[in-house]
Amino acid sequence: MTNLLNGPQTLGRGRAFWSAAAAVLVVALVYPLFVDSYDVGSTAYFLCWVFMALGLCLMWGYNGMMSFGQTFFFGVGGYAYGVIEINLGVANGGAMASLVAALAVTAVAAALLGYFMIYGRIGGMFFGIVTFAVTLALAFFLNQTAGPEWHIGTARLNGFNGMQGMDPLALPWFGGDIDLEGTAFYYFVLVLLIVVYLLLRLLVNSRFGNVLVAIREDPLRAELLGYDVRRYSLVTFVIGSVLGGLSGALYCSWGQFISPSSVGLPAAAMPVVWVAFSGRSDVTATLIGTLLLIAGFQALTIYSEQWALILMGVLLAGTVLIAPDGLIVSLANVVARRRARGGAALKPSLQER
Amino acid sequence: MKRRTLLAGAAALPLFNIIDSERAHADTKPIKIGLLEDISGDLAVFGIPKLHGSQLAVEEINGKGGILGRQIELMQLDPQGDNARYQEFARRMLQKEKVDLLIGGITSASREAIRPIVDRTNTLYIYTNQYEGGVCDASMISVGAVPEQQLSTLIPWMVEKFGKRVYTVAADYNFGHLSAEWGRTLLKPLGGQVVGEEFIPLGVSQFAQTIQNIQKAKPDWLYMLNVGAAQNSFFPQASAAHLDIPMGSPIKIMLGFEHKQFPAPVMANMYAAANWFEELDTPAAEDFKKRWRAKFPKETYINDMGYNAYVALYMYKMLAERAKSLNKDDIRKVIAKGDAGIDAPEGHIVIDPKSQHTSHHMRLLSVDKENKVHIVKDFGVIQPYWLGQVGCDLTKSNPKEQYTPDHLPPKR
Amino acid sequence: MVADLFSDFYQFADVFAFLILSAAGLAIIFGMMGVINLAHGEFIMCGVYVTSAAYHAGLPLPLAQACGAVVAGLIGMLLEVTIIRPLYSRPLDSLLVTWGISLVATQGTLIALGSTFPGIDTPGHSFSVGEYSFSSYRMVLFAASLCVLGFVYVLFMRTRFGVHARATMQNPGMAQALGVRKGIIYAVSFGIGTGLAGLCGALYAPTMNLIPTMGASFLVEAFVTVVVGGANVLLGTGPAAIALGVIRAGLNAWYGQVVGEIGLLIAVVLIIRVLPDGFSGWLTRRTS
Repeated sequence: MTNLLNGPQTLGRGRAFWSAAAAVLVVALVYPLFVDSYDVGSTAYFLCWVFMALGLCLMWGYNGMMSFGQTFFFGVGGYAYGVIEINLGVANGGAMASLVAALAVTAVAAALLGYFMIYGRIGGMFFGIVTFAVTLALAFFLNQTAGPEWHIGTARLNGFNGMQGMDPLALPWFGGDIDLEGTAFYYFVLVLLIVVYLLLRLLVNSRFGNVLVAIREDPLRAELLGYDVRRYSLVTFVIGSVLGGLSGALYCSWGQFISPSSVGLPAAAMPVVWVAFSGRSDVTATLIGTLLLIAGFQALTIYSEQWALILMGVLLAGTVLIAPDGLIVSLANVVARRRARGGAALKPSLQER
Repeated sequence: MKRRTLLAGAAALPLFNIIDSERAHADTKPIKIGLLEDISGDLAVFGIPKLHGSQLAVEEINGKGGILGRQIELMQLDPQGDNARYQEFARRMLQKEKVDLLIGGITSASREAIRPIVDRTNTLYIYTNQYEGGVCDASMISVGAVPEQQLSTLIPWMVEKFGKRVYTVAADYNFGHLSAEWGRTLLKPLGGQVVGEEFIPLGVSQFAQTIQNIQKAKPDWLYMLNVGAAQNSFFPQASAAHLDIPMGSPIKIMLGFEHKQFPAPVMANMYAAANWFEELDTPAAEDFKKRWRAKFPKETYINDMGYNAYVALYMYKMLAERAKSLNKDDIRKVIAKGDAGIDAPEGHIVIDPKSQHTSHHMRLLSVDKENKVHIVKDFGVIQPYWLGQVGCDLTKSNPKEQYTPDHLPPKR
Repeated sequence: MVADLFSDFYQFADVFAFLILSAAGLAIIFGMMGVINLAHGEFIMCGVYVTSAAYHAGLPLPLAQACGAVVAGLIGMLLEVTIIRPLYSRPLDSLLVTWGISLVATQGTLIALGSTFPGIDTPGHSFSVGEYSFSSYRMVLFAASLCVLGFVYVLFMRTRFGVHARATMQNPGMAQALGVRKGIIYAVSFGIGTGLAGLCGALYAPTMNLIPTMGASFLVEAFVTVVVGGANVLLGTGPAAIALGVIRAGLNAWYGQVVGEIGLLIAVVLIIRVLPDGFSGWLTRRTS
């Protein structure tokens, strides 16, 4: 188990890393005691998006599938949560059941789309464009569902204006449900994130993960070695996409609202930007980088008014030019080189490909 | 903060003195008003005049002693047209900054995104756009015009003047669909006929096919509900193909100031019903324009969104001062009296207690071949009657819903 | 009958011109050079704005449009030398950098020039066929799109520069060893790409509403056309635009713009599924 957590496909090993991680965890756990409810809610909101980035990191960084479709599954997950929750109601664990059902719907959608693409031998840039096209098509479709004929059960999709009326998640508990709002929602998302992060680490360091990396490096060779490349890729695509759906469902629960603009442009480009910025070859880097970038953009928007977008653009372009492997991976490599006194980088650069 | 420590330190003071001076402190500290307007991205063309309108009103009101003797502190955030950021910023305004009033939102989607958040607090929210109507929510006041004000004036006039065959070109989303439906409903008793109806996805900029469909259908006039800069490209393209058919619209000219962006005669033959447009020349309007132009000399056009944003603050001032309080319930008691109104640049306008929407002085404008705007007809003051008619009565209940002709309040 | 036939052709020509003009510049930059240029729309916007400014400064429209294309080309060359150059081996980083450039360009334009920009009269008259009247300028656009296709083909297939450029892009080291000046080739090719984007904007300037974010309305069609065209853009872009143009114009005519838009995207997915190498791959296989 610990071997898998510390395996070769992930950055951050050894006592120093895990002590630091534990420290961060403790800070994250006690943090709500020291700030107001707004900040807690806000942090929970940032955390919601990270799942989507982790999913993309798995598909793209570890398996070489550049999916532009994370917001497609964000939309599927979010809308599915809303529709199912509105129809089931929050009572008797309805909301939690809706979350699970929404993830199941996302998984089915991902399996269908993934089967179509991966077994159709669509790869490279074509993979990106196909996922991009279906994402935009979904956004166009949802935009025109304003009329009353577009309803599923009692839930109206409500077009561009967005669907609302769903309840936030609630945890079924002895003696009454616990509404997952504010601080409770924060802890729920935090625990979920830790679990997903650790499971992803286990996954990519397992035999399965090694095969994924082999496929990324040379699909043909992997196939000749006897691995069913397409099945591995399909499973990866489904896992990564379901994480996109999880982000969608959590977001929908957080704000009790979802609209097609979360699916279309420019939203669709954001996960790719986060992951590429952080360093797509590593889950820890993606986790940290995505959080930094989302919180940083938010702060820029608050404090620099009209200049925010310009600063973001400069920051992004500048970082990429200086740190070719993504900010966090590059930083980690610098640290590693220092410690090893000129030794090799921890993560081989993906750039040569 | 400094004052607090001072008071806490003076422990010898009798208790009631502390309370007294705390209250005096509350009475002089500024009123916080949160503003969410998109001043970046696609919607900046509307967001910037809206920001200007709010800034002008705040400056004027502060110059004349503020509201209830307190200055206004305007806090503006730029959600960049992103609904998720609207939600996040609305929470920030309401929970962290604890604003006394929230204003803003451009698209209906952004309004619907923040309404559930506002509804969980006891803060008032003012939406300052003309929109498709129907929001029945006690936390929200709408100061923009709604379909019954714009369309029940425009459409009968167009039918009488140009004829009964109508072709609808609408943006494919809620506003477009609802306004198209309003058109059908209003045309029926007039004997009008929709000879063609086309819905265009947002962001589409090429209209050759639409122009040809129109020519095939041979309508007497076009009912234009296209939205956004990309879709506005319809006008130069139709003009280049010499479509030459009169157009009526509830959003063109006064909102998107297309006549200031396209060269003449692209917008010729456009008719619109509006509560505000910069060419309005009453003395009150002239005075208002002069003050605006003095503060923002580079403004391309003072559009109705900017105007509404300006009016919203005076409306709030009137409400707060009549209620002698900023409390939402106190203010709603004033609205319930049914005479809560102000003398705005367009004329006297009043908030309707049942729907908390605003009456407007509507005028019909037309654009000539030189892109000049003329006032064709004065409809007088039109009430926002639809919500009250279908059963929304905020003085009795608060459903917090957006109703549409196909989604009406349950019959009692 | 004749009128309807002509109108069908006109609708197709209109969509075709839009696809070709949007995609031509990107075909070079993305298709040949491998830079995922998300700022493509902003080069188009640049062409539009320069054209409008030059036109309102008194230049005749064709000259103003030439200015639009040239300025966009020069800015492109400048960016190539300063920013893009290290990114050729890193296509995904080029995506981030050009996205950053696009943010800076749109928001910078907004701050510097305001949220709207004065439009231009559409030149030319209208003409009638049967009961329909058409804008003659749309035919100019169609003609221009054919010229652009021809220009790109001749430039890269029939000139010395073109041979050098293609050689450099296929094998930079070898080309350099043979004495080709790689830096200049890259800068000029990139500049031609952005110049064609600027030309697209210049040509569409008289038909559109001018705002800083207007480039976005070209981006999706441009990428889709280039990708469906396949790896050999000189061969593939034209057929791709014909196929997508027929699909889009047909769906528009029969089912309206909503189906046209969604249908175009679905068609792209299906075409890629059937022709995994795009049109050029398919054509090469058929001919060889």
